[in-house]
Amino acid sequence: MIPDLLPLISGLALALIAGPLGCFVVWRRMAYFGDGLGHSALLGIALGLVLDIMSELSILLVGIGFAVFLVILRQRKLLAIDTLLGLLAHAALAFGIIAMAFMGVGEVDMHDYLLGSLEGVTATSSTILIIGALAGFALLIRIWPGLILMVTSEDLALAEGVPTKRYEAMLMLLMAVLVAVSIQLVGILLITSLLIIPAACARLFARTPEHMATLAGVIAAVSVTIGLNLSSTYALDPGPVIVAVMISLFASTLVFGQILRRS
Amino acid sequence: MATPNSLLEGENIYLSRSGRTILSNVSLRLEEDDFVTLIGPNGAGKSMLLKALLGLEKIDSGVVRRKPNLRIGFVPETINLDPSLPMSVRRFLTLSKGRAPLQDDIVQETSVEALLDVPMTALSGGERQRVLLARALHHKPELLILDEPAQNLDMRGQLNLYALMQKIYERHKIAILMVSHDLHLVMSSTRKVICLFEHVCCSGEPQAVARDPEFISLFGEDMARLISVYPHDHDHSHDVHDHTHHDHSHNEGKA
Repeated sequence: MIPDLLPLISGLALALIAGPLGCFVVWRRMAYFGDGLGHSALLGIALGLVLDIMSELSILLVGIGFAVFLVILRQRKLLAIDTLLGLLAHAALAFGIIAMAFMGVGEVDMHDYLLGSLEGVTATSSTILIIGALAGFALLIRIWPGLILMVTSEDLALAEGVPTKRYEAMLMLLMAVLVAVSIQLVGILLITSLLIIPAACARLFARTPEHMATLAGVIAAVSVTIGLNLSSTYALDPGPVIVAVMISLFASTLVFGQILRRS
Repeated sequence: MATPNSLLEGENIYLSRSGRTILSNVSLRLEEDDFVTLIGPNGAGKSMLLKALLGLEKIDSGVVRRKPNLRIGFVPETINLDPSLPMSVRRFLTLSKGRAPLQDDIVQETSVEALLDVPMTALSGGERQRVLLARALHHKPELLILDEPAQNLDMRGQLNLYALMQKIYERHKIAILMVSHDLHLVMSSTRKVICLFEHVCCSGEPQAVARDPEFISLFGEDMARLISVYPHDHDHSHDVHDHTHHDHSHNEGKA
């Protein structure tokens, strides 16, 4: 019983932070940043193997490095942000794959890193995920009012003393933490959809930012629960199944919303 | 040194962007109870000066001093909400970095009661300005700063907005700094005008400013004459002292 519950509890903790944080990814157009973080995680895993440290920690370190490089390169203003993201993400991915090959990581393990695996979820990895998710959630709640002011208008936020640069960095850090703790469960490839699909779904119904964030959290939790169940029942990779459930929810709410509007 | 009732002051502000001088040796001071309007031709650096005073733009040299813990209500020129961000007027009014409950008296004063449940993106230009103003007032500001508040409004909307500002100024007893294009309205209503074109060309009461040679060279003889026929209710006996003329060359600070 307990081994079955571990992924579910981890998944629900993940949904708690992925819902509201995903809203900021949508509002501030950070989806490509999320993708880039995901790709850089492979290099992080390789680094973890080389240094013999926990992969969550090494992924987080590489993720932070990724964000720092991005911020520095962005300040030069020579290249657009999507070019920089593509450049950095694929550099991390390429070097990550090469490093993994040198470390002798087989195809099966690689597959798990890319798409997540239920077997990979251990008591330790669950604990790290839950602590990471709860800490991230607490930070998000703490700085919430200022963050909302910032996404509404950068000028208003600055004029009223919100440290926007620091908040921006905190959002990036939160995403890096989320990626680092959730790779085991959902994998590298689909991490961004976990953030943006629930938020996109919630946008259809929400009237305020808080409303949207709460709804996104609920949608993420429902999708994770259904997805993990299907994944263990049919022995499928959890990442793709959870995303498939989310997409189905999104599609049905879209259709449902249209019907509501018509009538 | 900041004088006791000075709220916000800028001293010898220089600011340039991409090698172009935008502000050159600009100094100004706002005190409690001031109602100051910043005028000047397009590209004179008015919005930039506001942003410099607010700390939104970095200045090359000079000083900006604020009264400690000064509460500023800022009304930006416009606000572009991302469509993916759901925001009702009710929620927008209570936006702040802390907690701010909705205040009925301000809602009534700015006539936004009927708009509370409307999404921000569905507001007309005039409605949006009133909502921005109402939000700024929710923080009980000591100083209200407005960037071209009447820009996208029709004539009637402009008149209404300026009347509302006057009412707010009198009722809330706060200082106001406003950037404006609408010379004819400004000149008949505000107490003090600062005319900016890279540097402070002239400042003082509207009538006096309108007679200033630099003002006339910036806006033309016709405009100056038009303005000086506007009636207003201030006592002008102290014009000579109040009205200071800043005799700078426009090229100052460029070298």
